[in-house]
Amino acid sequence: MACSTQKIERMKLLQLTIILITMAMMTSCNMDLETELEYESYEFSGIDENAGSWKPILISNGNDITIDEPTSISSAEYLSELSEVKSMISAMSSDQRKQVNLWTNNSVIRWNEVALGLIAKYNLIPGPNVDESYTLPNPANPKGPPVFPFAHPPYASRALAYLSVAQYDGMISAWHYKFMYDRPSPYMVDPEIPYAYVPNNLPSYPSEGAVLATVSRKILTAMFPLEAEYLLQLEKDHLESLLLAGENVPSDLDAGKKIGEEIASIALARASNDGMKYAQAPKAVSDSLRAAAFDRFGWQWENLESPVRPVGLTPLFGKVKMWSVPNVEDTRAPVPPTPGSEAFQKDVKILEDYADNVTHERRRIANFWQDGLGTYTPPGHWNDIAGEYFLKYKLNSIRTARAFAYMNMAIMDGGISCWDTKYYYYYPRPIQMIKGFETIAGTPNFPSYTSGHSVFSAAAAEVLTYLFPQEGSVFQKWAEEAAMSRVYGGIHWTFDATVGTTQGRDVAQYTIEVAKTDGADN
Amino acid sequence: MGGLGLSNMTVGQTPTDGLMMPKGDICFLLNFDYGQFDHYWEGETLRKNGTIAKVQRKTALVMVAYGITKRLDAYVGLPYISTNSTTPNGGKFAGAKGIQDLTLALKYEAFRHKGEKGELTAFGSVTFSAPVSNYLSDYQPYSLGIGAPQLAWRGLVEYEWDNGFYLRGNGGYIWKGYTQAEREYYYNEGSYYTSWMDVPSAWTYEAVIGKWFMNKSLRVELNYNSSKSTSGDDIRAYNAPQPTNKVDMNRVGAFAQYFFKKPKGLGLVASYSKVINGRNAPEMSSISVGITYQFGLFHPKN
Repeated sequence: MACSTQKIERMKLLQLTIILITMAMMTSCNMDLETELEYESYEFSGIDENAGSWKPILISNGNDITIDEPTSISSAEYLSELSEVKSMISAMSSDQRKQVNLWTNNSVIRWNEVALGLIAKYNLIPGPNVDESYTLPNPANPKGPPVFPFAHPPYASRALAYLSVAQYDGMISAWHYKFMYDRPSPYMVDPEIPYAYVPNNLPSYPSEGAVLATVSRKILTAMFPLEAEYLLQLEKDHLESLLLAGENVPSDLDAGKKIGEEIASIALARASNDGMKYAQAPKAVSDSLRAAAFDRFGWQWENLESPVRPVGLTPLFGKVKMWSVPNVEDTRAPVPPTPGSEAFQKDVKILEDYADNVTHERRRIANFWQDGLGTYTPPGHWNDIAGEYFLKYKLNSIRTARAFAYMNMAIMDGGISCWDTKYYYYYPRPIQMIKGFETIAGTPNFPSYTSGHSVFSAAAAEVLTYLFPQEGSVFQKWAEEAAMSRVYGGIHWTFDATVGTTQGRDVAQYTIEVAKTDGADN
Repeated sequence: MGGLGLSNMTVGQTPTDGLMMPKGDICFLLNFDYGQFDHYWEGETLRKNGTIAKVQRKTALVMVAYGITKRLDAYVGLPYISTNSTTPNGGKFAGAKGIQDLTLALKYEAFRHKGEKGELTAFGSVTFSAPVSNYLSDYQPYSLGIGAPQLAWRGLVEYEWDNGFYLRGNGGYIWKGYTQAEREYYYNEGSYYTSWMDVPSAWTYEAVIGKWFMNKSLRVELNYNSSKSTSGDDIRAYNAPQPTNKVDMNRVGAFAQYFFKKPKGLGLVASYSKVINGRNAPEMSSISVGITYQFGLFHPKN
């Protein structure tokens, strides 16, 4: 026990030092983990006064949907609306202020993020039951179990396409009436009303924010029925923020909501008859596709999960109605190498080499683009990437909606074309053909050729290159990297990736041709 | 699964036992641990999963302990780990292998009192660990560890009766930092647009009953320990775990250590442990054996 006092002092000093260092570490290491794209003081690069005459996707013109003529800003009705807004703003709580800051003046991005979050939440593959059978999600009983939907990549591509297309058409309609009626925003009418965002001279009737809130709520509720309440709350928060921002009066919102409701109904009518409800075909249909491929080519993909899944993912997604391609077979990939052939054996060698030598760079690429179960899927990843570029180029909300619409149409068309190819060739995965092969990515429950990631990514990159040619080389490089990521992951052949990339680029051209003639490039 | 990254240092002369080394003594430990599980808790539901079948985890640990003073010991540990699924499995996932985290620890004897029937001692320890290879924490259940710096504070109290029985308890808090995944988006009850994941910190407790035999050549212990995360999300249905998960587990185990009379300084350790309940944790059972060699580095005796 003979510790000298000097020693004890030294010990205490040491302890104190350790405590101080630790506390400093623990407080300084609190990271701000981003839960959305951040943009403040966002200034549109332009307001596109003529966008009301652009050609929409689902309706024929911006004036297909009708709204009432607004009251004059000198009318008693308007003045009473204005004073209502003023008193709301003066009584704004800090929570309401946060909502105003959250939704911003480009809420297309925000609703897209809402969709990405829901995709990630629902992108869970149903597991086996206790008796080793599988139950499929059922839209008639969304609570399940399993819950509906399973937001896999084809489902995600479709949800995003309908959301973006309906938003875009709604915005064209809103722009048409905005510049027809030219009603100024509250902050322009009354200098005492502060505007929460950067002034932009956009007329306020109808409110484009209200169009977006309502159309997005309605489309996403159809796609994610269990989220109805959550989405209704978001719509309510968003609508209220438009008043509190000094941007709109209630009648601006009402007209916007009407457009939103009607355009969403038109989009959902198309969705209910696009063939998606038949995509997850019964076993007999999927077996007949397998048998046809075996007869034609002599190979067939098998699911190797435990327990085995009786049907692959959405065998008939390839039959879903496309946005811009008249005939899916025109975009079908050519016949892949026969197993055992020289080209095939060369690929086996490449895959074995990658599996035996997992470099940090290849592992990083495989994981960066994996976008697997529980995430926002490859279509979601490209929406995330696109959003950053839309903000970088300060797109206004109608330009943002247009860009998302064409990109997501091309992505969905790419998915349909890819799935047509997948279930036509029914080509086996590497784990089926290479004995003892192990992967660093999860092998999905559908045939190998062509790679979905490759097609989705190339289609997205192609539309983004059309929109921002100066950035094209970056998008193309990423699309090729995303394609190869699946080979590095051990779950695709190199020809799945390279042919898939060509296929995605090809499919996207159909949509780009539509985009070029909608009037926005004039 | 979620809690797999925690190195399980239930071996002798560690930051969590009640022994101190003489000043200037150094002790080397080489320990081999084999753990396996074929069930895990998805949230609070115990399940199996044909995708991963049975997961095996082998750890070789080298640890060095050194008596800086008779009341302060320092420890350095470095494990090499390999993981895999048994075949057949439905996932065909490759396992992982490599060096995990470097552990540095100090244990300080704060109190020692010899009473009429026995001796009461109290210790404080601080353990810091951090990854020393680029293993991917976001590759559950095969990842080597949680991939984040960790700092554990523990307090230990032990009472040893003159007849050789002893009781020991320790409680601690493990701060766990952030780990970087190789993807820029993940879902944790909402979207995260970053590659950084916040690994939940945890409270830990342990209770031990033990006895010395054979004139203090052998000690045998039964232990119960518990770890409870302070935050985090549950593993989602039939989905892979991720480092953000709230991992709780309770574990029982047995431990024995034998000190040879000849050659002096040589010892053997062996242990068994099993996770008996948990949340987002594997139902892991492990056995380990190790060999220790202790000698005076700066004060050779005899």
